[in-house]
Amino acid sequence: MDFSLSSEQDMLKKEARKFLEKECPEHFVREIEKGDRGYAPELWRKIAELGWLGMAFPEEYGGLGSTIIDLAVLHEEMGKAMFPSPHLSTVVLGGLTILEAGTEEQKRTYLTGIAEGALILALAWNEPEASWGSKAWEPRGITLPAVAEGGDYLISGTKLFVHDAAIADYLLCATRTSREGNPAEGITLFLVAAKSPGITTTLLRTTAGDKQCEVVFDKVRVPAGNMLGPLHGGWAPLFRAQQRGAVMLCAQMVGAGEEILKITVEYAKTRVQFDAPIGINQYVQEHCTELAAYVGGCRYVTSQAAWRLSENLPCDFEVAVAKAWCSEAFEMACLCAHQVFAGYGYTSKDGVLPLYSRRSKTQQLYLGDGPFWRTKVAEVLDGWKFERTFGKPLGLWKGAVEKEIPAWKVWGPKDLGEV
Amino acid sequence: MDFGFTAEQKKLREKIHEFFMTELPEDYEPGTENMGEEVQAFFLALKDKAVQRGFYVPGWPKEYGGSGFSEIDQGILDEEMGYAGVVWPDFLGLHLVGPTLMMIGTDEQKRRFIPPIARGETICFEAFTEPEAGSDEANVQLKAVDDGNSFVLSGQKVFISGFFKPNWLFTLARTAQTVPKHRGLSLFLIPADLPGITFRPLPTMGGGRQNEIYFDEVRVSKEYLLGQLNRGFYHAMQVFEFERRMTGAASRGRRQLEELVDFCKKTLYDGEPLMADPQIRDNLARLAVACELQRLAGWYSTWLFAERGKAALMPAYDLSNYYAKKWAAPQAQTMADTVGLYAQLGVASKYAPLAGRLDRMWKFTRSMHAGGTFEVIKIVLAQRGLGLPRIPAPIMKEIGEAIKKDGKAA
Repeated sequence: MDFSLSSEQDMLKKEARKFLEKECPEHFVREIEKGDRGYAPELWRKIAELGWLGMAFPEEYGGLGSTIIDLAVLHEEMGKAMFPSPHLSTVVLGGLTILEAGTEEQKRTYLTGIAEGALILALAWNEPEASWGSKAWEPRGITLPAVAEGGDYLISGTKLFVHDAAIADYLLCATRTSREGNPAEGITLFLVAAKSPGITTTLLRTTAGDKQCEVVFDKVRVPAGNMLGPLHGGWAPLFRAQQRGAVMLCAQMVGAGEEILKITVEYAKTRVQFDAPIGINQYVQEHCTELAAYVGGCRYVTSQAAWRLSENLPCDFEVAVAKAWCSEAFEMACLCAHQVFAGYGYTSKDGVLPLYSRRSKTQQLYLGDGPFWRTKVAEVLDGWKFERTFGKPLGLWKGAVEKEIPAWKVWGPKDLGEV
Repeated sequence: MDFGFTAEQKKLREKIHEFFMTELPEDYEPGTENMGEEVQAFFLALKDKAVQRGFYVPGWPKEYGGSGFSEIDQGILDEEMGYAGVVWPDFLGLHLVGPTLMMIGTDEQKRRFIPPIARGETICFEAFTEPEAGSDEANVQLKAVDDGNSFVLSGQKVFISGFFKPNWLFTLARTAQTVPKHRGLSLFLIPADLPGITFRPLPTMGGGRQNEIYFDEVRVSKEYLLGQLNRGFYHAMQVFEFERRMTGAASRGRRQLEELVDFCKKTLYDGEPLMADPQIRDNLARLAVACELQRLAGWYSTWLFAERGKAALMPAYDLSNYYAKKWAAPQAQTMADTVGLYAQLGVASKYAPLAGRLDRMWKFTRSMHAGGTFEVIKIVLAQRGLGLPRIPAPIMKEIGEAIKKDGKAA
């Protein structure tokens, strides 16, 4: 049992923080949000040089063999800095899925490209008719057909909430290739060139101001060689991608959450009303302690989930717990901060809380929110086994508890023993 | 980072787990506040077995009967005991009196008092609370007047838990009247059967026994003074900070949940198991998430303690206590909601699900103030953990007096 980071991870954390403090100040975050691309290509190149894009790939593809924990450390710092970039889409949802399910040639092509900063990927999963609540993440919500024709597949339909589609080189697209049997058994993943004829990408206006898109496919032709994983076998790698991505979002929420706690407590100590810092009020202290408790718990469950993924241990329970908790705890944490900041937390010109708060919406919802991941927790509970104690029954408790409360004796020295 | 256990730790856990699973009868009911003579006898016998097996005080120094358990090992033991639903009759001796003696006892006191605790021969009561001294511990009024070779104690304690008859009383008394109130208190460990001590029963909502303790000119030999005269308040605060292992509380909740889940799978409504109901699934999942958080929070405290020792343990950031006190009642309520009307039935009713445990659990969660109210935990987190400002004691006193005078703060 060990909650600490290794010294290398600690160093990665410190360096990432220093880098992002310099390269990603508040005005940069605001500037990128105003634009359409959601990232700065020069900065993407810089982090490629730092190894942040290829780190979790094996060395033969330009990586360092880093673990999920290492990536989570990075995402925590990126969450704290509100770093706008297609890292989650490209490296985690794209790259690690290709690493798991790709052919040797696909791995060589895509992973090396990602590591060099030459390729951006976007995951296209959700669809307009099927994005309601937790059902958005069920296999039957994937209906976009991919129909075989010659040596290719034709895709027609619409994907929604596709992060970073407008800047992507490739869309990792979840399609339906069979309607028979279990819905999870008819899903196929394709790597679709984003500039293929027939693709129309439109930016959505979201709470977070991030660059999610509607992507319309009109008879888009994809070569069979761009299938990722086996035909009809796309669900398993997609779910793993969802788990990994969900843990990265949790890590972002941990980083953002700790920053929000820090600024909220600082404000409570310095903002004066009625001749005293507002932090003297127990109601204000209550908001701060609730914030601290929500965010503290996020760290524990996220670390555990990241560790289990890193160790390739079964992790369905731990990942579900982490994202279910973080999604809702972080929402409550932001609310607590808003209570304390009041007016200063709502205006958009100064102050950083609205930025964190709006971004929390994506972090809460993307790749599954509380209600969704609790359905996955419940599935784990379906498999729990209960072990009764197996000593011989003594019949001591049934009678004892239901007796009338007796007139218990008063005890004096005569009644008590000595040692 | 490692959320697993070593092979030795796993083996240890298996050994302890097997002990409790085997020794506890099939019809064991954990958390029963009302304990008849036979139930008490059962726990005392189980305790003797644990003493024999070395599971009683394994974390204590070897010279006091310990067997070299690390903090993590101790956390595993606590976790398995919580899972089994066992609380030792003398848990106050184990977790409060023993550690206090080790910290501030004289050599003679250690030699005399620690071995009987380790052998399971003691039942210690913690007698701190008084009618006017609850959260405000420093307001203790129990007088201890210096009379040469002894102190003479007069006064009263209240809400002192304990079904088992005690043989030792661990208490805080006022040995100096003229100084700031927290600087005039001293700790005592006294035999419970001294002439002049009376225990009057206070039945609790859950059917348990608490006590009023009356001290009528009780002559206490000075050998029973613990630590320094008039430093008792500080000694007590220090000891409370050590007793932070919460792995047991979390696992108790986990076991209750496992049993409830099992119940929902087996219980049918209109031919379908309760477990098929989406609302129940979401409730149970919420409970499972909370359980896992509590488990990890308990282990975080335990690990921090193991890693950096007592001095570095920041009591303010112990979220395990925070979660436990905050969620105990909502969790009991959610569990009760799962069975609805049946939650009001106690164990003797043939209709009571889970042996009436949900009724007991609900009642018990009306007593989460024990060992420190949730409000105090929040205040400590806010002021010591986060550094938020506090009203200094003299100003609080002024405010209190102004309110008494004309019903409002100055």
